[in-house]
Amino acid sequence: MKSRTARLWLLFLVWLPMMATTAYGETMYAKKSNVKVTTEKSPLSKSVATLNMGDAVEIVEKSGRHYQVKLANGDKGWVFKFKLADNKPEVKKGGSSALAVLTGESSVMAREARSGGSIRGLKETTALYAKKKHIDPVHQRAVDQMDAQLVSDKELVEFQRVGVIGEFSGGAQ
Amino acid sequence: MKKRIVYFGVAVLMIALTGQALAGIFDELFKPQQSQSEEEAPGQEKKGLVDGLGDLFGVKKEEVDLLKKGLGVVESLQPIGEEEEITIGQAVALEAFSRFDGAYTNEALVRYVNLVGRTIADVSDRPNLHYKFAILNSLEQNAFAAPGGYIFVTIGLLKTLSNEAELAGVLAHEIAHVTQQHMLKTIRRGAILSNVSEFTMAAMKKDPEMFAGVIDEATNTLFNKGLDKELEYEADALGIEYAYRAGYNPNGLKNYLNILHSQHGKAESRFFSTHPPTKKRLRKVKKQLRNYEDGSSFPTLTTRFMASMEAS
Repeated sequence: MKSRTARLWLLFLVWLPMMATTAYGETMYAKKSNVKVTTEKSPLSKSVATLNMGDAVEIVEKSGRHYQVKLANGDKGWVFKFKLADNKPEVKKGGSSALAVLTGESSVMAREARSGGSIRGLKETTALYAKKKHIDPVHQRAVDQMDAQLVSDKELVEFQRVGVIGEFSGGAQ
Repeated sequence: MKKRIVYFGVAVLMIALTGQALAGIFDELFKPQQSQSEEEAPGQEKKGLVDGLGDLFGVKKEEVDLLKKGLGVVESLQPIGEEEEITIGQAVALEAFSRFDGAYTNEALVRYVNLVGRTIADVSDRPNLHYKFAILNSLEQNAFAAPGGYIFVTIGLLKTLSNEAELAGVLAHEIAHVTQQHMLKTIRRGAILSNVSEFTMAAMKKDPEMFAGVIDEATNTLFNKGLDKELEYEADALGIEYAYRAGYNPNGLKNYLNILHSQHGKAESRFFSTHPPTKKRLRKVKKQLRNYEDGSSFPTLTTRFMASMEAS
């Protein structure tokens, strides 16, 4: 009797980790563009692919804050799970944010040009508002500088690596 | 022999179940609770009572819409687009710099706040927007989000914080206001009440009076009246979730609210008038944090925060 109970427990203990690491076969989607798929659970490991917003992946394994995924071409790699969504995000056409223009996510250029014709600067409507409300040009430049704040992926990865946050959190190296 | 066959059968069954019917159960069980609103895509409208009754009685959508018109609850204004949202955000940002003593111009500290903010925004429910963070020169404790991803924190608030996780908690709350388009929905509601029938780029440009009126109302809400209490509670809940996703100790917001609570009646802050009572926020936040116990070992990054503040 004892032996049978022991065997059942052993079987259960073998089964538990299998539950945690089994292939799920579920599909998820990249929440944004430039989502890295890497060989290990770290953005510093070798790159397998870069996902565009809405790209579908099959979940192979769930491990902490990372998922191992299978790509359409059969390649496998790891993704930080919070960069994936259950539902396919809507890819917006148009939009005029500096980021959208710079990353090519915007297929249509801004309908309203910024004052001065560049991607920087106040939009025409806002510039008219600033004039009407006599907003100090110093504050107009402050908004312009705010718009120009673009953080590169390289700088962000280094910031997160040092702080053990973002993709480096939860034990990822 | 028979026993072995039974054990083998049970093992095969378990493996089969593992891959099929039970897939994902553990993940669902251990997933931190999120507010219901997170499931709703930004900009998505909830179904109203009339829609619900229509569904119940199998009435066609067109007929329900006609009935709504008849009842005078028609939502005549289309949802505000992203380009329009950014334009409104720019105008509100101009007012923010004007009313809160201009920009705090220490480049390194502004960069640092942007790096913390971007780390959170990247794992939010609206990661494709260009979020930009600025520090205001005012010594009053305040932080707010304008539509389109323009997020502000005063130097007065930064000086009360002890670590990066607290800053992350404050910024994550503001990012949640943007992902859920709280301000934009409030503006849209105000525009409907003011009989604004069109809120496109062309309409805003053609009618500067209407645009100025909308911005006046928006800034009055943001800086004086405050958003609906429920929206603030929602931003607290989502903010904790976003900070957790970003790998920060999720207690950051709670710790800041404790600071704010201890300063009630002593410090100058519009938080006391524009937000729900801090005590009530703390009660809700503490309850929610029970779902994030695994995050209590995540970093607070005190040294890095202090170094950034001292260098400014």
